Amino acid sequence: MKITLKCFAFLAKHLPVYAKKNAAEVELQEGTSVNNVIDMFQIDREDAYLVILNGVFVCGEDRDTTLLNEGDTLALWPEVAGG
Amino acid sequence: MIDKTAYRQAMDLSDEQLLHYNAQIMLPEIDVSGQQKLLAAHILIIGVGGLGTVAALYLAAAGTGQLTLADPDQVELTNLQRQISYNYAMQGEAKVNACQKTLNALNPEVSLATIESSLHGELLERTISQADIILDCTDNLKSRFEINKTCFKYAKPLVCGAAIRWEGQLSVFVPADKDSPCYQCFHNPDSRLNQSCSANGVLGPVVGVIGSMQAIEAIKLITGAGELLIGQTLLFDALSLQWQTMQVSPRTGCEICGQRV
Repeated sequence: MKITLKCFAFLAKHLPVYAKKNAAEVELQEGTSVNNVIDMFQIDREDAYLVILNGVFVCGEDRDTTLLNEGDTLALWPEVAGG
Repeated sequence: MIDKTAYRQAMDLSDEQLLHYNAQIMLPEIDVSGQQKLLAAHILIIGVGGLGTVAALYLAAAGTGQLTLADPDQVELTNLQRQISYNYAMQGEAKVNACQKTLNALNPEVSLATIESSLHGELLERTISQADIILDCTDNLKSRFEINKTCFKYAKPLVCGAAIRWEGQLSVFVPADKDSPCYQCFHNPDSRLNQSCSANGVLGPVVGVIGSMQAIEAIKLITGAGELLIGQTLLFDALSLQWQTMQVSPRTGCEICGQRV
């Protein structure tokens, strides 16, 4: 199945080289979880602080059990707390 | 035919006030009644750094009745790249005093109170309980969690901004709205991350964008104009100039907002 993976800020360097505008279509096996994708692209799980699946926040406890589906968009953002 | 209610309300504002705030009174969503609400409002700004100085400037210019500014720091040379209420000559002054001077020059009608201290514990509780709306413009997670908790304890709307590097984030939490999550619904209090702009870097206009949007949401909260950013967080990536909206629901079992009756 194919999903769109988006990585913002300093996480963008983890995207495939063909990515454009912080997004890349990636091929995954059925049954792949959110955390599987984060690990697959060698992103530190703590750096992927905000995980957004199809526009909705996925909390830390659900990232192992939330499985991706064809056509999903998964976006990853680092933490922002400065001011 | 003259609308008698609007006429009476307009009479409650002086000619100078009508002229001063004319540009926003012309907006039908604000009008004279919205301006009166602004003039009667008390907003607490916690942290007058990159975010807080920008929000404070716009809120003072808009005619907010009372602003309370809280920050323990002094103005340093390294602040001047982004903290635009300060100038070169203000180095070494308490930020709250320097910001007060700038805001007073901008709009002497605004009543300004200052607290040259970090707000924690009893002082935080007392200060939040006395304000109508709270703007979190701090630079660390520990303060953010405590402010969030206290705002929910006293049922005060919280406009939360954050920025670092090229990224910004904006959320509005309204304890009285059951659809509103709180900061702790999607931030981990055990996070090892603790970020400051001085340690990580930040582009000045990024804090300007987020601080301005905090002022927008505060004005909307006071006047009732438009739709608030409830149940959503806006994320901004300035490098690609992209915005993303993230939907967040109140987290089941959240120890802060889950206690609401």
